[in-house]
Amino acid sequence: MSSDTVVYSARKIVTMNPSRPVATHVAVRDGRIVAVGSEVEIAQFAPGGMIDDRFRDKVLLPGFVEGHSHIMEGMMWSLPYVGAFDRRSPEGKVVSGVRDVDAIVARLRESESKMSDPKAPLFAWGFDPLHIGSYMLTRQDLDRVSTTRPVMVIHASFHISNVNTLVLERAELLRATDISGVVAGTDGLASGVLQGIAARFRVFRVLGNPLSSGITLDDVTRYAASACVQGVTTITDLHNDLTDPTIELYATATRSPDFGVRLVPALASVSHTPEQAIAKIAALRDGGNDKLHYGIVKLVVDGSIQGFTARLRWPGYHNGAANGLWYIAPEELPRLVDLYHRAGIQLHIHTNGDEATELALDAVEKAQVATPRPDHRHTLQHCQMADAAQFRRMKALGVCVNLFANHVFYWGDAHYALTMGPERAGHLDATGTALRIGVPFSIHSDAPVTPLSPLFTAWCAVNRLSSSGRKLGHETEALSVEQALAAITIGAAYTLKLDDLVGSIECGKYADFAVLEDDPLAIAPEALKDVPVWGTVVGGQVRKAPRA
Amino acid sequence: MTQSAPIPLTVIGGFLGAGKTTLLNRLLASGHTRCAVLVNDFGEVNIDAALIKSHDGATMSLTNGCVCCSIGSGFLDTLGRLLDETGRFDRIVIEASGVGDPWRIAEIALVEPALRLDGVVVLADASRIATLIDDRQVGETVRNQFARCDVALLSKRDLVTDAQLEAARAAIRLVRPDVRIEFVSPDSAPDLAMLGRRPAVRFRADPVDDGIDHEADFRRWTYRRNGSFDRNRLAAAVGALPPQLLRLKGACRIDGEVRPQILQMVSRSWTLLPPDGSNEQIADAIALVGVGTADLPADDELDAILDGALVAPLAA
Ligand SMILES: [Zn+2]
Ligand SMILES: [Zn+2]
Repeated sequence: MSSDTVVYSARKIVTMNPSRPVATHVAVRDGRIVAVGSEVEIAQFAPGGMIDDRFRDKVLLPGFVEGHSHIMEGMMWSLPYVGAFDRRSPEGKVVSGVRDVDAIVARLRESESKMSDPKAPLFAWGFDPLHIGSYMLTRQDLDRVSTTRPVMVIHASFHISNVNTLVLERAELLRATDISGVVAGTDGLASGVLQGIAARFRVFRVLGNPLSSGITLDDVTRYAASACVQGVTTITDLHNDLTDPTIELYATATRSPDFGVRLVPALASVSHTPEQAIAKIAALRDGGNDKLHYGIVKLVVDGSIQGFTARLRWPGYHNGAANGLWYIAPEELPRLVDLYHRAGIQLHIHTNGDEATELALDAVEKAQVATPRPDHRHTLQHCQMADAAQFRRMKALGVCVNLFANHVFYWGDAHYALTMGPERAGHLDATGTALRIGVPFSIHSDAPVTPLSPLFTAWCAVNRLSSSGRKLGHETEALSVEQALAAITIGAAYTLKLDDLVGSIECGKYADFAVLEDDPLAIAPEALKDVPVWGTVVGGQVRKAPRA
Repeated sequence: MTQSAPIPLTVIGGFLGAGKTTLLNRLLASGHTRCAVLVNDFGEVNIDAALIKSHDGATMSLTNGCVCCSIGSGFLDTLGRLLDETGRFDRIVIEASGVGDPWRIAEIALVEPALRLDGVVVLADASRIATLIDDRQVGETVRNQFARCDVALLSKRDLVTDAQLEAARAAIRLVRPDVRIEFVSPDSAPDLAMLGRRPAVRFRADPVDDGIDHEADFRRWTYRRNGSFDRNRLAAAVGALPPQLLRLKGACRIDGEVRPQILQMVSRSWTLLPPDGSNEQIADAIALVGVGTADLPADDELDAILDGALVAPLAA
């Protein structure tokens, strides 16, 4: 028995391994799990019978796996947050939501007053008008923050922003309301709402782009810190150009023994030809390490539902809005899918609307017929509007799905009233259907679009409650707590082809645990999101989450 | 901020397979002007190796002074860097994505003083465009690409029959009755300056020229006044023009602006731009030409709408 084996005892260990669902003791050596079981079974692994009981009043789960989030979550926290809902920072601090204009202005003023350079622009993030009664900020609101410093608020969607009058004047956009992205206010001048490429280009040319300088080590470190705070031990970065500096940075960061999360980046197909992407993935596969896993290519087929840019089948948007946008031409998608499929690459395909989902399924079917490939695990990401027939096709084609459960809470009301109407909103992110039909699935946050917090995501899938309190398809699509916990652990690991390494607590896997203060299976399902996370164990390294 | 003359920008749009890359390859190789070309798909750029001075994976410099950059996802940064290198290029050409709306990119030149929009050229495969325009999945995308282009450029003319060609032209004219339709020459690079926006005064002489007799289907309206418009009331007036008016172009004066402005309205969206300095003298008054469908309301009705935007002449 190697002397560096550590045996932990815990109040309870929920393994997510159905052949040994609960335990109290786990033995760890060389960063991996030697054995899990009862005290009688596991004590023999403890050197000199010494049992580490620091987790005696904690509950261990497999470390959570966030199957769809972005490094941008790490970048955004360098800016003040002005969203309507509470959000926990990488320092573990609960940053309270700001739920009306005055609160937003106050939060921005507070940040403004702390800035030393009087000329530096103030950027903030996380605003969504749908969450404060559809009130859109105006330049006049932001002029209350400053008339001498540029102020820019980036929306939660990242596609729209609000600026103060000074920015409009400097960018010469105050009268440019004939440009499609420069929205006019009641006075005929620009209101301060900007969207689209022209306005963005002009504003960033004048102010500088706060997010364009490339990913830094601080960003990656903040991302890992947020993961620890939320009990996440494996995290994706699901759309990255993977330029040479980024590859270098990820290699350096993950090789550090202190780095506290396993990182799974997906290569953005949009910035590469398929030939380039295939060659890059081939080269990167060997460049990984135990905390860095390459191999996925991401395709983005359509836009977002709440932005009315998702592609919907008949009868389209509930409020009659025009159909959305293709980001990949429908005739191009089968060619791309076929090339990657043949090359043995796993695809994660963003489809929000059901027409985009249909197109993706058609493309996978063609590729499978041309080159049958067992266990490809191509995964549809978001896939929010799929109906039962589409889930049956996923099942038949061996396709997995990662559903955007947080949407039920954040935009469920908008989907009910505006985008989909009552029936379709009821099977939004249809976890129950996936379960009944047997499609391997996971659930996700898409952080920073919604907060990184797998327990909250699980809560959404269990309670299916919108932010106004409306239940959406609760009787038919809700998961049990146990099913939801499986989705954020072994289910997500499966969609990343990492289920042999992470996602459950069993012999041979990495010793990756989420350390909780309470047993999620013993509390009321409504309280699932409030179970405190003490910290994580990653590869046997114990990490107490900061609480600020 | 740069003081030099704005660089002309051409945006090349068109659905997948319309021939954008072929056109851009020829443009880069021809070297008539020092072009900076931003492309979507670097792998498709096919330049004679002898012409390549350097190539670092994201930027290819040619011996003839042209440069080709990959758009990737750092489009805004790449374009910004090009603008910082003032004087190095005579023209910037951006290839819009096959499913993108070229007008969205063209708008950059309407707000960026270092750029001047010289034209939106949308390519179309003569053998496919009639089908694509009506396609259930992509028809809307394709139609939107034409909505505000200056020139529709048909490719693969040598591969289609006269009947197919006529069908292609008819399909485009259904979307944009007034658009100028040209052909890609099979062997030479296009002269983008020729495809660009024509000087405003010439719109009066030949506002619409697609080689087809359309007098029966369309009606023209000419509006001339001395004086100037109030900008805010003009915005309201243009918005109040009837939908039968498809296009409105010409020179006008805006109260408070030193220079005359070029007004262009297409498909209900409009722009006001200072004129291209190199062009002919622009009349110091208002002269607009509109084109509408045959049921366009009477001239005096239309005149009255724009008259509402005039600034009252000062008492002498
Ligand atoms: Zn997505
Ligand atoms: Zn995403």
